[in-house]
Amino acid sequence: MTSAHRGTIFLETARIVAHHSPAPEQWLLTLEAPECARRAAPGQFVHLQCDPALPMRRPLSLLRVNPDQGWVEILYKVIGQGTRQLAQQQTGQALSVMGPIGQPFRPDPQRPRALLLGGGVGMPPMIFLADRLRRDPQAKPCVFLGSELPFPFPIRPSRVLIPGLPADAIGTLALLEDWGIPCRLSSARGQPGCHAGYVTDLARAYLTPLDAATRDQTALYACGPEPMLRAVAGLAREFDLPCQVSLEEFMACAVGGCAGCVVPIHTANGIAMKRVCVDGPVFPAAAVYPA
Amino acid sequence: MAPACPDDPLRIRFCGLDFANPVVLLSGCVGFGEEYTRVAGFSNRDVGAICLKGTTATARLGNAPHRIWETTGGMLNAIGLQNPGVEAVVRDILPTLDFSETRFIANVSGSTVEEYAEVTRRFDDSPIDAIEINISCPNVKEGGVAFGNDPEMSARVVAACRQQTSKPLITKLSPNQTDIQANARRCIEAGSDAFAVINTLQGMAVDLRTRRAILGNIQGGLSGPAIKPIALLKVYQVAQIARPHGIPIIGQGGIASAEDALEFLIAGASAVGVGTALFYDPLIVPRITAGIRAYLDAQGMRHVGELVGSIQALSGTPGAPHCP
Repeated sequence: MTSAHRGTIFLETARIVAHHSPAPEQWLLTLEAPECARRAAPGQFVHLQCDPALPMRRPLSLLRVNPDQGWVEILYKVIGQGTRQLAQQQTGQALSVMGPIGQPFRPDPQRPRALLLGGGVGMPPMIFLADRLRRDPQAKPCVFLGSELPFPFPIRPSRVLIPGLPADAIGTLALLEDWGIPCRLSSARGQPGCHAGYVTDLARAYLTPLDAATRDQTALYACGPEPMLRAVAGLAREFDLPCQVSLEEFMACAVGGCAGCVVPIHTANGIAMKRVCVDGPVFPAAAVYPA
Repeated sequence: MAPACPDDPLRIRFCGLDFANPVVLLSGCVGFGEEYTRVAGFSNRDVGAICLKGTTATARLGNAPHRIWETTGGMLNAIGLQNPGVEAVVRDILPTLDFSETRFIANVSGSTVEEYAEVTRRFDDSPIDAIEINISCPNVKEGGVAFGNDPEMSARVVAACRQQTSKPLITKLSPNQTDIQANARRCIEAGSDAFAVINTLQGMAVDLRTRRAILGNIQGGLSGPAIKPIALLKVYQVAQIARPHGIPIIGQGGIASAEDALEFLIAGASAVGVGTALFYDPLIVPRITAGIRAYLDAQGMRHVGELVGSIQALSGTPGAPHCP
C-alpha cells in the first residue's frame, strides 16, 4: 500500500514570460509551467529556485494561473537574499519550479458569501481565490485588501456599494471590480482611496450590519501577517463564522520530508506540530488561534 | 522489484542487504519514506536505501519554530526529533511502505541508553531492514550528540542496541568531536556493523533586526555543500579504522552531484548519502547514479566496489596515504 499523494507535485524548468515591478519592492513574475498551471488551486504555492547560486528554494504563493495557456503568476515582495536574487532574473531565462504544493482553500458551498481578507504578501492567494469564485454562479465573494506599500494593481473609485463601510473606503482594485467582485482597500500609511486602518476594520464594518440569515451564509478566508490573521480569527469567533487562514514559515523541502516548516496546531488530541507545506498552508483559524 | 541484474555495476551488498545502487536518502530529510513520492518522476526504486526520520520511545513535538535557515552554501536545521514514537511508527507507518521498492532503515534516538535499547528492540520486531543509531543529533538537549561526542558513551549505546537486535546496526557519527577515529574504534568493539559519516555540524544564526537567534532552538545543525570537505575528511579518517574490519561506511555531508559522490567513494565510503541536496533538486538521485555509471565506464571499471577506498598515494610519497 502506498500513498494517494504520489506524483502530485511537478518539477518544471519554467521560462520567465514576464517579470516587472508594478510598485516599489513588489514584483510580478509570470512563468511557463503548464503542469503546475493545470492543477493549481487557490492557497497552493510553488517552491521556486530564485537563483542557481542559492542552496535553497523559496516558497511563493500563486496569484493567478492560466490552465489553458499554461502559465502561473506570482506577486512577491523583495525581503531577503532569495527574493533579491529573484528580482534580478530576466524575461526569457528559466527557473526551476516545483508545484502546485499544499492544501488549498476549500470554499464552503453552504456559505456562498465568501469574505476574502488579504494583507501585504498575503494578497495573492486571495486574488486567486476571487478569480476562482467569480466562475461559480452561486458564490458572492467580497474582497478586502490591506497594504503598507502602494498596491501593485491600479486603484479606482468603486462603483459598487458595500453597506456599513467607513466613508474613507472608496478605492477598489480595478482588476477585481472588472471581475464583478466588490472590493475595498485599507492602508495604515494613508494611501488615497484606502481606509486609514486595518483590513479587519473593514471586515468588522461589513459583518456588523448583517442579519442572522445572511451571516449564516458567510465564511472568512484570510492570508497575511501573523497579527492580522490572529485578529481575523478573533473576528470569526466573535461573529461565529467559519474561517480558513493560510500560514507561512521558513521552508526547506516543501514536500513534507523535513518537518522544518511546522507550526503548532490545536487538535482534539492536544497540540500537534503540522507542516505548513503539505498539511497546510491553509488551516482552520480556530485550530491555529483557539479561544 | 528492480530487475535482478547481478552484473549491474551499481548494485551493492551493504551489511548483507541488497541495495539497487549506493545512494541512500538520509534521515530527517525524507520523513518516513513516502514524502518525496509526491514529486512526479521521483521513485523510491531509484535509491539503494532510505533512512527514516529519527524515532524515540514516545512521541516528541520537536523544537519551536523557526527550524530552518539558509546559510552560505548550506542550511541550518533544528527540528528536534519530532516523531510520533516508535510504537506508532511500527504499527501505523511501516505497513504503508512498499518494501519491494527499496531498503528501509530505521533511525533510533533517545535521551538515555535504555531508550535507545527500547526503540531498537521494537524495530527488531518489525520488517525494517536495518537500524541506524543516531548518537549525533545536535538539536536535542539530552542524548544525541551528547552521547556521540564521548567514545565511551557511544560504545555503551551501541552495545545496548546490539543486545536487542541481529539486524544490521549502522552508527551515525558526529563531526562535532575531537577524535572520530577513537569513537569509531570503540563502536566497532561494541558491535556496530557499519557507520554513517557524518551528521550535521553545530551552528547558529542571528537576526540583525531583533538581535535574537533565528532558530527556536538557538543552535542547529549545518548541512549542505558548505560541509562537504569536512565530511570527506571524516570519511577518509573513519575508513582507516573501519575498512580493515570489513565495516562499510555511508559517506554523507554536502553531496550534491555525481562528482561529490565519487569523491566519497574514493575516500572510503561504500555508499553515499543524499539529504539537503534533495531540497534543491528532488530528482537528483538518478543524475548522481548516471554520473557514477559514466565515471565507471570512463575508468574501465566493472563495479562501483572497485572505487571504494581507491584513493591513491600522492606522487613522491612513499607507501600508502597516511591519515593526518
